[in-house]
Formats: sequence, structure tokens, C-alpha cells
Amino acid sequence: MINFIKTYLWLLIPFLWMSPNKTDQNAFKTIKHNVVVNHPGEEKPVNTILSEIQNANGLPIEYTMDVYSVICLEEVCKVIPVKLFWDNTGKYQKYELAKGETLEKYEADLFEPEDYIKLQNILADNDSPFKEVYIDEILTVPDEHGNEDVDAISGATALELDEKDTVPGAALTCYTLWHWANGDVVSQIKSQTGKSVTETQLKNFILDSDNTYFHIAINELEVRKLYSKPFIDVIIRKLLEDASLLRPAYKYLNHTSNEDYLNASKTLFFQGQKEQKLVVLQSLRQTQQNIPQLYLDNLSSEVTNLNSYQEVSLLLELMQDKNPNSPKVIENTFLLLDVKFLVARRAFWFLKNQKLNDSQQKQLNSFQEKHKNKL
Amino acid sequence: MKRREFFKKGTTAAIAAGSVPMIFTSCASTNNIVYDKPKDKWYHLGTGKTGTPNRKPVKNYDVAVIGGGAAGICAAVAAARNGSKIVIIQDRPVLGGNASSEIRVHLNGVNNIKGKAERETGIIEEILLHNRFENEQESFPVFDHVMYDFVVREPNLTLMLNTQAVEAVMEGNKIKSALCWQATTEKMFTINAPIFIDCSGDGLLAATAGAEYRTGREGKAEFNETFAPDEPDGWQMGATLLMSSKDMGKPMTYSPPSYAIKYTHEGASKRRKFAGFQDGIWWIEVGSDDDIIADAEENRHKLMGYLHGVWDYIKNSGKFPEAKNLALDWVGSIPGRRESRRFIGDYIVSERDMTEHKHFEDAVAFGGWSLDEHNPGGIENISEPPSYFHYHFKEVYQFPFRSLYSKNVSNLMFAGRNVSQTHIALSSSRIMATCALQGQAVGTAAAICNKRNMLPREVGQKHIKELQEQLLRDDVFIPKRPANDPLDLARKSSLIFASTSSSGDAKNLLNGMSRDIDGKINHWQSDGLSANVQIEWEAPVSLSKVELKCDSNVKRNIMMRKDSRNDELFNNGVPEEMLKALSIQGRVNGSWVDLGKIEQNRTRLIKFNFNPLKVTAVKVNMTETYGAENAKLFEIRCYT
Repeated sequence: MINFIKTYLWLLIPFLWMSPNKTDQNAFKTIKHNVVVNHPGEEKPVNTILSEIQNANGLPIEYTMDVYSVICLEEVCKVIPVKLFWDNTGKYQKYELAKGETLEKYEADLFEPEDYIKLQNILADNDSPFKEVYIDEILTVPDEHGNEDVDAISGATALELDEKDTVPGAALTCYTLWHWANGDVVSQIKSQTGKSVTETQLKNFILDSDNTYFHIAINELEVRKLYSKPFIDVIIRKLLEDASLLRPAYKYLNHTSNEDYLNASKTLFFQGQKEQKLVVLQSLRQTQQNIPQLYLDNLSSEVTNLNSYQEVSLLLELMQDKNPNSPKVIENTFLLLDVKFLVARRAFWFLKNQKLNDSQQKQLNSFQEKHKNKL
Repeated sequence: MKRREFFKKGTTAAIAAGSVPMIFTSCASTNNIVYDKPKDKWYHLGTGKTGTPNRKPVKNYDVAVIGGGAAGICAAVAAARNGSKIVIIQDRPVLGGNASSEIRVHLNGVNNIKGKAERETGIIEEILLHNRFENEQESFPVFDHVMYDFVVREPNLTLMLNTQAVEAVMEGNKIKSALCWQATTEKMFTINAPIFIDCSGDGLLAATAGAEYRTGREGKAEFNETFAPDEPDGWQMGATLLMSSKDMGKPMTYSPPSYAIKYTHEGASKRRKFAGFQDGIWWIEVGSDDDIIADAEENRHKLMGYLHGVWDYIKNSGKFPEAKNLALDWVGSIPGRRESRRFIGDYIVSERDMTEHKHFEDAVAFGGWSLDEHNPGGIENISEPPSYFHYHFKEVYQFPFRSLYSKNVSNLMFAGRNVSQTHIALSSSRIMATCALQGQAVGTAAAICNKRNMLPREVGQKHIKELQEQLLRDDVFIPKRPANDPLDLARKSSLIFASTSSSGDAKNLLNGMSRDIDGKINHWQSDGLSANVQIEWEAPVSLSKVELKCDSNVKRNIMMRKDSRNDELFNNGVPEEMLKALSIQGRVNGSWVDLGKIEQNRTRLIKFNFNPLKVTAVKVNMTETYGAENAKLFEIRCYT
């Protein structure tokens, strides 16, 4: 008998104190969901039960699913039930074996204590090499150390895994469990968490430092068609901190009212950095929403504060498309003729297409004469 | 057509259809065998004349490439595209060598480095992509024609099939001419060229030129090779005869032919596996410890016997119930060769150059297949594993130019399995896509030889940077050698930026590295489509060419396989990442002018050529890929 209990406890300990409110077991609620999960090792989708554990506030805090670890090499198969645990974003946490069960390797070797730890590390790595391994590669590898290779001639298969990436002799177990832990079920857990939480919890999700919660929340807001100001304000707050979320957020913002869309864009443009400004300008160019001239004139007053050629160029493209010949925009753009040459040249060609007064025309002609060889 | 012309052409065709055996005896010269002697008794019924047929044409080219496999095709196309007038002399009726329908080996390359491919780009990738567009059904005979199309469409290139370069005519230490026998026309061509490239595998022309070569295995001591035998010997890895079978949907019987050699698998190494047997078994292999070329016909007969013996074992031993409904639907008659002559260059690549990743200043190609040395004896020594797979590479290795030209024949280069390397080095570099990279390198070098009127060694010594830069421009990847082309005006721009970015940076497009490698990102990727990248110059530049390298996912294999495998490592279609529709614009007097548009792009290297124009900026507009959500680029170049 291997020292399984010891290993199991070792694995469990970190999660005991990491899970909030776990001491108040009575407040927890378990909801069972019938789900259909795809696994690359299975020919057909698998019908199974995903258990959602909610705390006293109805917040999903953990999910579990019972799966099978298949050890099957050279016609010797042993099937062992395994319980997998995820957090509420679908991130794998740990595994448990049924009481008295042990994992085995090729040729009936038992898992050593360090093999259980290694398996945990493999399953917790959502970018493990098992992501890319094809099941046939494992099933046809003769010696489990990956020392077979592909010859030039036929379709013989290859598997090369560093020892650190696999439990030698148990590649199929690693493969099977990795895909259960990190496969199709992850997106289903995210979706279920979104469905389960309250509107207040959704707002908390938006501001959470883990952006996975933002994506769960924004998807759920669209599902529930929640486009009101309190949600938009929280989203703007988050977007000003994290530009990487701008594009998924704009898919949401495009569905808000004209007033909310324009206000959100204005806040992001004036308070945001380069990334926010660029996304706002691109959105304003492409949107079908109505944009008043005054709104655009107002944006143009920021032109001298823009730090990059790209922002200036995009702003001027927006003005050319949606607010041509605006005296205010022209006036603001003239200020650019004295800055860095690439920006000045961009401003020059914009102004060249605008209706100018005599004084402005003179000023523009003077610029043209001065830089005639570089335009 | 006039009646007389009809008869004239018809008669010629009828005569050309014959052939004479390609037999040379010790007392015969080429004059003895060519059918154009004055005593010829041809009476032409159409003209009523007695004539002497002309069967000795003389042709002149800038470069003669011997061999039409992956290496030869790439050598010829590279030289042709770089301005040389080329001929390919191919002794088979089809192109492709080991990958042709005659042999059907997968066109492997660096298929698997730590679970991902590090695929070859350049001409060989173009061929494989062309096949993905033109041969969706993954037929080997159609692949023959895809390669044929790829070659004959090149304007500077002449293809001679069924033609074997049998003898070199020397002038000092240079090959002056190659005598080439065309079996279908009974012609003995004299091919004159200043540069010859032998990509034929066996290297008959190079051998007759007196180029130094060796066969067999080096002993450990000579190159300090871990995996070499203690003492040198004559063993050369065998050739393999392949087959394929088909599920007929009902039980199929099989009885072996008279020449089958009984196979029992008794005492076989456990690593001698049958996985994928329905598509051929690579260890049905026979080599030689003496003269493998002289043994070729004897070995072919044996291999046919072994092939049927193994298939008999699969069908009738009772150990393969899954083979019940299978029947052979194609059997090879031409074994695929792995090894014979290795010619000597100024440098001999050996095991440690590869495993220790030696940096070569003259690197022009790369490899990364394992050190896959097949066992001495092949199927006649089944207690040994069929291959030792000595060493698996964790990163690609460089291959130097000095190993691709002859040490003692001054105008001779080579590419493929016959290059200057040890037996152990060959066990990795013999893979076809690696050979193809060598081919593109020597083809490009040949064009430089022509342009500069010099010999290959001088190119290596004085113009290696020019050679490397041209290869990099033509989308060859050279490990750890970023491009730095002084003619590339994109590198002299003041600003580059992209409309959106989801990963990488537009600045990466000018860093000279055309793939993500060594843990570094060298790409720009859009965030959705459409997207654009813009380059700005402070002062106008005159442009007539813009060249892009888009993504074709070099981490996933695209060669045609018999099992049509389609997963994370192998793709059986067009890479979804590749750009499909794009256009470019130049800014002239403040306005954008269209410079080119492509709606059905088929290559990683995308070239736009247009009339010279002075612009202050260039914009690349990308609107569609073959399925990917984002566009990804690795390089932008601009030329006058």
C-alpha cells in the first residue's frame, strides 16, 4: 500500500485555508448540473454531472466532477474514479481519489508519493504539453519514456515529453485527467458562475483583479441585457485601469444607449491613456451611433495633448469622416504645424482638405514652402 | 494543319516513343550506344528518304541541377527566380524523389521539437502550400503534378524528365558538361553550364567528375562522435519499400506471391512496431555494408519479398484482426533510399555540430529531425530496434554552406543526402525538408556565382552575407541570424504602427526575425479584422516593391500524410492563420494611392510589385485570413 493518505492530505491542506467560509459547512449548498463534456480521448461527448458549491451568499465558490482515470497500456486497463475540483472561474484546484483507491502505472507499478504531487502539478498547468499531445501518440509509445520517434517513411508516431512534464509510465493517466481538468468543462463552469451570481456580485466581478471575472461578468451582462449606468460606470472604472479589456468591453458598450455610449467614450478619451484613446477613436469612426458636431469639436481640443502620431492621425481621420470643415477643429489642428514633423505633416494634409480663411491659407502655404521636399 | 506537317510530326512522335536500355559496358563509350551512327538504316516512308537521326543535342544553361527531388526542385527554382537560366535533369518520369507517387515517403522536416514543429519556410513551404490548395484529396499521383506545375511555371527553368546525368566531361577541376541520357527519346544531351548542382542522392555525375566522397560509417575517433561505432565500417542505411492498403468493407483474403520472404516476427525487438501498418512499414528496409548502389536491384527484389512477407504475417498470422478487411491497393516498386555517397566539401558536418548547436558564420540552412540512425541489417536483423533514435533535438541546428560544395571539383555544389557530413549527421539531415533548405541555399548561391562570375567557394568566402541576406529575403529561416538587408527601406523608416494589436508589436516587423523562436515574440498580431499596419518616412522614398511575411503557423506541420492527420501538430489543409485578402497603399501628396491588392493569397511570403512611386508612407490593409480571427505578420520590407 502506498503512502496515499499522507499524499492526499498534503494536497488538501493548501485548499483548506484558501477557501473562505469553509468552516461553516452548513451554509454551503450543492447544486448538480447535467452537462455534456467533450474530451479528446473520447469518441463521443460525455454526459456527466457538474456539482456547483455555493456559499451562504449564493456565490459559487467551487465545482467538482467525478471522472475516470484510465490506465490502459498494451491491453491492460484499470479504471479508477477521480474527483476533480475547480474554483468558480474554472481554474483547476485539486483531485481526490475514492477511498482505498490508488493510481497505477504501466505494468502495475504503483504511483509513488512524488508521482501524486507531480500529477497535481501537471493538472494545475493549463499550458502543459499534454494540451498538444495526440492520444494515439501515447497509445503507441512502447516504452513510456518517449524514446520512439517518427521515421521519414510512415505514420509512426512520436511522443517526446520531458520527465518533468509527465509521470513516467502514466502518460495516459496524465493525458486523460489533464483534459478533464483543463478542457471543455472550464467554459461551462465560467458560464454557470455567471448565471448563478447576483447583480451586485457581477459588479464585484468587473472590478476584480483577476480579469477572468471581468469576462464572465461582461458576458453575463449581455445575456441578461443589463445596460444601465451603474454597470457602465463600473466598467469605465475598470477600463481606465486596464486597457487590455477595451475591445470586449466595447462590444458591450455598443449596445448601450446613445447618451451612455457617448458619455462612456468621452470619459475614456479624456481620462484614458494612448490605448484607451485609440480604441475610442476607432469606435467613434466605425459606430452607427449619432455623434453631435459639438461632441467632436470638443474632442479636437485635445489634439495637442495627444502623445503619438497614431492618435493624431486617427483623430483627424475621424474629423475628416464625420466633422469636416469645422472651424473649431481647423483652429485646433493649426497648433500641430509647429510640433514634430511627422505629426505636422499629417496636420498639413488634413488642413489642405479643409475650407480655410485667408490667414490660415497663408500660414499653410508658408508651411508647404518650408517643407516642400518632405511632403 | 497541312497533310505533310501532320505526317512529319506523327512520325517523329512514333520514333520518340521508343527507348534503348541504359546499359554501359567496360568496352563501350557513349558513341557506341547513341542511336545516330552513319550506318543507321532508317528509311522514312513519309519522305522517302534515308536519314541519320540527330540524337546528340547540345544545350547551354547558367546552372544545371541534377535530380528533381525536394532538394533539386528548390535549388532550381531558387536559381531561376534569382535570374539564372536553369535546367533540371531528373531520371524519373515524375518529380519529388522519395516524396513522389513512385515512393510515397512523407515530406518530413523539423516535425517535432518539444511537441511543436519548427517548420521550414521558403520554397519548400510554397510547394507544400501549393499542394494544400491543389490537392485537397491528398493524392500522391496528384502531388506529382502539383510539383510539376510548380516547376514548369517558372520562366527561367527547363525540366528534363526521364533523363539521367551519366557522366561528367571535365576541364581541369571543373565540370564542363554533363552527358545526360534521355530514355524516352534515345537522346544523349550534352549540357554545358558554368555551375552544376548534384541533388540526385546517389550523385553519379559528381562521382564521375572525380569529386571526393565516402560511404559507410565513421569510427568514433574521427569526429569524436558519441553515437558512431568504435571503428569505421562500410554500413549504409537501407532503402525502404512502402505500400498502402484499403478497407474494402468486407473480409479480404491474401496469398503471398512466389517471391515473398516469410516473416514471423520471432525474436524481433519490441520497438519494431506495427503502428500505422495500413499505410506502409518503414522498417521493411535493406541496406548494404559494401556498395549499396551496385546492390540496388538485388535489394529491390529482396524488399519486394519482405514487403509481401510482412503483409502475409499481418493478414494471415491471426495477430491483426483489424486487418481482416484490408487489401493492398498500392505497392511500391522503387525503394526509397536513405544513404549512399556523401561528397566531401570544405567542411564535414558531424554529430557534435548538431547536438552542441555549433554556430556557423556561413549557416544557410537548418535541421532538427532526431539522430535517427537505422539499425545495421535493417529487416535482416530484426532483434535490433529498427532505428536507435540516438538523440532528440530541443532546438534546431545550423547547416553551413561549406558542406554544400565540393572540396576538389570547383564548380560543383550538392544538396540532399549526398552532402558533406558524417553518417551520424546524415541520420538527421537526410530528411527531405532539410534537404530542400540546402537546395534553396545552393540554388541561390549558383545565381550569385553567375552574376559575379565566380565559383561557389568564393561565394562562401567573400559573399556569404549576400547569400544569407538573399535567402532570408526569400523567406528561408537561418537560426540565430536576423536579416539586415541594407537595401530594405522599411528599416530606414521613422515610424511603424498598427491599427490594433492583440500580441506582439508592429516594431517587430522590422527586427529581421521572421518567426517566434528562442522564447522571443517576433510578430505583430491584430486584434480582429480588418487591420492595418502603417510605415512612415520623414522624407519621400521611391518604392516599387513591398514584401511581407505573414503567418502560416510554422509550429504545425503541413506536409501531406497518408493518414491525413489533423490535430495540433499536423494540419491537413490550408493553415487558417494565413492571410487571404490584403491590399497595400502608398501615400502620395497626402492621399492614399492603391499599389496592389490580393484576394486569394497562397503564400507566406507575399510580394507586391508596382511601378516606381515616391511615397511618404505605406499602409498594409488586411481584411481576411483562411479562418483565424486575427491577422499576424512577421516582416515588412520595402525596396526601390
